[in-house]
Amino acid sequence: MTAMTAIKEPAGQQGASELAGLQQELNGMLRVLTCGSVDDGKSTLIGRVLWDVADLPEDTRATIEKSQTSSGFPDYSLLLDGLVAEREQGITIDIAWRYFDTASRRIVIIDSPGHEQYTRNMASGASHADVAIMLIDARHGIKRQTRRHAAILDLMGVRRVILAVNKMDLVDWSEEKFRQIEQDFRSLMWRFQFWEAIAIPVAAVTGDNVASKSDKMAWFDGPTLVEHLNDIPSRGIATTGQFRFPVQTALRDAATDFRGLAGTVTSGKVAVGDTVTDTVSGRSAKVQRIATFDKDLTEAEQGQAVAIQLDTDLDITRGAILAKPDHLPVTARTLDARLVWLSEDAFDPRKNYLLRTATDLTPISALDIRSLLDLETLAAHPSTTCAVNDIAIAHLALGRATALDAFSDAHETGSFMVVDAVTGASVAGGIVTAASSTAIVTKERHDVFILTRQILERGLCADLGNDSQSQTEFNRRANEAALLLRAAGVAVEFEIDDPGI
Amino acid sequence: MTSHISHLDLLEAESIHIFREAAAQFRRPVLLYSIGKDSTVLLHLARKAFYPAKLPFPLLHIDTTWKFREMIAFRDKTAKDFGLDLIVHTNEDGRQQGINPIEYAPSIYTDVMKTVALKQGLDKYQFDAGFGGARRDEEASRAKERVFSFRAEGHRWDPRKQRPEMWHLLNGRLGSGETVRVFPLSNWTEKDVWRYILREKLDVVPLYIAKERPTVVRNGQILMLDDDRFPLKPGEKPEMRKIRFRTLGCYPLTAAIESDADTLEKAVAETLSSTTSERQGRLIDHDQTGAMEKKKQEGYF
Repeated sequence: MTAMTAIKEPAGQQGASELAGLQQELNGMLRVLTCGSVDDGKSTLIGRVLWDVADLPEDTRATIEKSQTSSGFPDYSLLLDGLVAEREQGITIDIAWRYFDTASRRIVIIDSPGHEQYTRNMASGASHADVAIMLIDARHGIKRQTRRHAAILDLMGVRRVILAVNKMDLVDWSEEKFRQIEQDFRSLMWRFQFWEAIAIPVAAVTGDNVASKSDKMAWFDGPTLVEHLNDIPSRGIATTGQFRFPVQTALRDAATDFRGLAGTVTSGKVAVGDTVTDTVSGRSAKVQRIATFDKDLTEAEQGQAVAIQLDTDLDITRGAILAKPDHLPVTARTLDARLVWLSEDAFDPRKNYLLRTATDLTPISALDIRSLLDLETLAAHPSTTCAVNDIAIAHLALGRATALDAFSDAHETGSFMVVDAVTGASVAGGIVTAASSTAIVTKERHDVFILTRQILERGLCADLGNDSQSQTEFNRRANEAALLLRAAGVAVEFEIDDPGI
Repeated sequence: MTSHISHLDLLEAESIHIFREAAAQFRRPVLLYSIGKDSTVLLHLARKAFYPAKLPFPLLHIDTTWKFREMIAFRDKTAKDFGLDLIVHTNEDGRQQGINPIEYAPSIYTDVMKTVALKQGLDKYQFDAGFGGARRDEEASRAKERVFSFRAEGHRWDPRKQRPEMWHLLNGRLGSGETVRVFPLSNWTEKDVWRYILREKLDVVPLYIAKERPTVVRNGQILMLDDDRFPLKPGEKPEMRKIRFRTLGCYPLTAAIESDADTLEKAVAETLSSTTSERQGRLIDHDQTGAMEKKKQEGYF
């Protein structure tokens, strides 16, 4: 038997280009959620992207080339259907992950099926996504479903969306048709907090504007779908946020007298010598060492997993969040939230629930459902119940204080899951709209702003008459006012006969 | 300001986060070590996650007694070099019954010597969480797998009991009788694993690199004669061939490929430009349709 031969460094005479390819590291990762139904050609579009861009095995390419759809084109959807059709496993939340590389970056496709139960699937998928592709059929234009999709994406903090207007070949590559859809899309988008919303006319089967510019749609001067995916920044990469370090566990090594706090910087950055504060206890210490396996660092930024040693032992355990003393998270005893109910078992006020935040698990002493969001009108309808696929506005009181941010300030420390204390199941996922250190449980709804017809008629809608057009405009303004108030952290309910549209 | 962190750095940080979440939430985790390239990366990431402290959990290797000898040598050297707490478990009932991969159908052999053995090992030491090297890109049935994959009593995988995972929140609260498999490499691809091995200069089992080895061709597959337990059929004769392996397992069930890639770099380059998919060399997967999925429901990885 040969002795163990350790595999070492290259001898130095390998073909340089071959090795360069191997050692190539891609510039970050873009996680793309795809929403839409099979009818809109979703599998074909993703399949086509893979076909044009991904490094597919030759046997796979041969299979696809031999396949043919009724329209005479290769069936690109087979690249995905192997995954979808064969694998109807009945998993409660059904998201399929798929990975490929373009020349410059890793693309992760998060595919959530568009059929029934899609709210929780989509919400779950959206929580991981940097960007979403909403797919529609050019023949049918924007549908109610598109509006619902946009609402879920907005809620889950996806800030970049792409409307892929597919099947342009079936509308004779009509600019007029596309511009009309684009206009509908714009007027839908301004309701949400998207930073970027772009519509791209494509034809998945022919590949027009997927990875290569379409000569049949020379009138479109925007990017192709793949060009656009290559250009957009990942969600988590901006380092402008405040420093947050949720502590996962304490690490000790007696031999080197090390006592450090293990965690990932979820936003901002920290350097050796900085003063950091444990949010809940309020005690501070200086960062003495930032340790990693490879080397000690002088600073650590968002996304880096490190171990921080402090100059004084603050007796910190898992669940604490370290931050800079002048920009602390809230030491929260109560919070306002929006949540998606994920479990088949509806919310039950008699049950015990726990709040799973970045690294903490806190007993919930009261979970009050206030209202349910109608995804089509975006109006909130008062409700105290909440069941699977509902999006609820809720108020939570905690059994003890924990560090939290508003989701709009910091996604990783402003999001949570609700856990069933007995079964351990994750029954809901949500975002913090406001957190407070006040321990008062507001059973009565005195902290909810009631938007009445009277208030609106007095000012904002004073110019409106009584005809049906004015009523529509009234409702629109009522909803907008509610959106603005909610965006400012005020819980709003309507006391208007029919606030919906 | 935007910083440019490479995708391998992002994957590494995510895996470290997962290791720490699991170690903090579960009472008695274990790293399921299978000696191959994925386990090599898994172990390296685990060591990074708890540095400068020692690994806060042991390694468990399910030894079917039919692994390549070089795998066992590599396993023991790794454990010694890194000062790891290595537990080796074999299904002794199966061994005594003489269940082997040559006379028994791969499905029976795998069930007894791998699946049952793994359950025995987990139960014997009361492990409530096992880290595994499974990746979502490996196979269609894994594309929907969770990072924390829950198993009901008896290690059954119940699709309806799988928990949604949102943001980076990992909910490890166990229900009665539940255990969990943790997959820190969920979002890695085969290419990432090899790139990372090269970048981090990790030692791997030499079987991944081409060398003259004694072989026989059966049903169009090249098998290596690793010891004298492999009976030759009439007309078969051992021949030296320059071969390497893309995945490693039990030697009578693992097909080799002819190759001149005699350095790790060449082997990786060849693997990554190859035209067939990774599991081709694993004979058990082709034994029955939906094989992987069935094994998973029964508790195999």
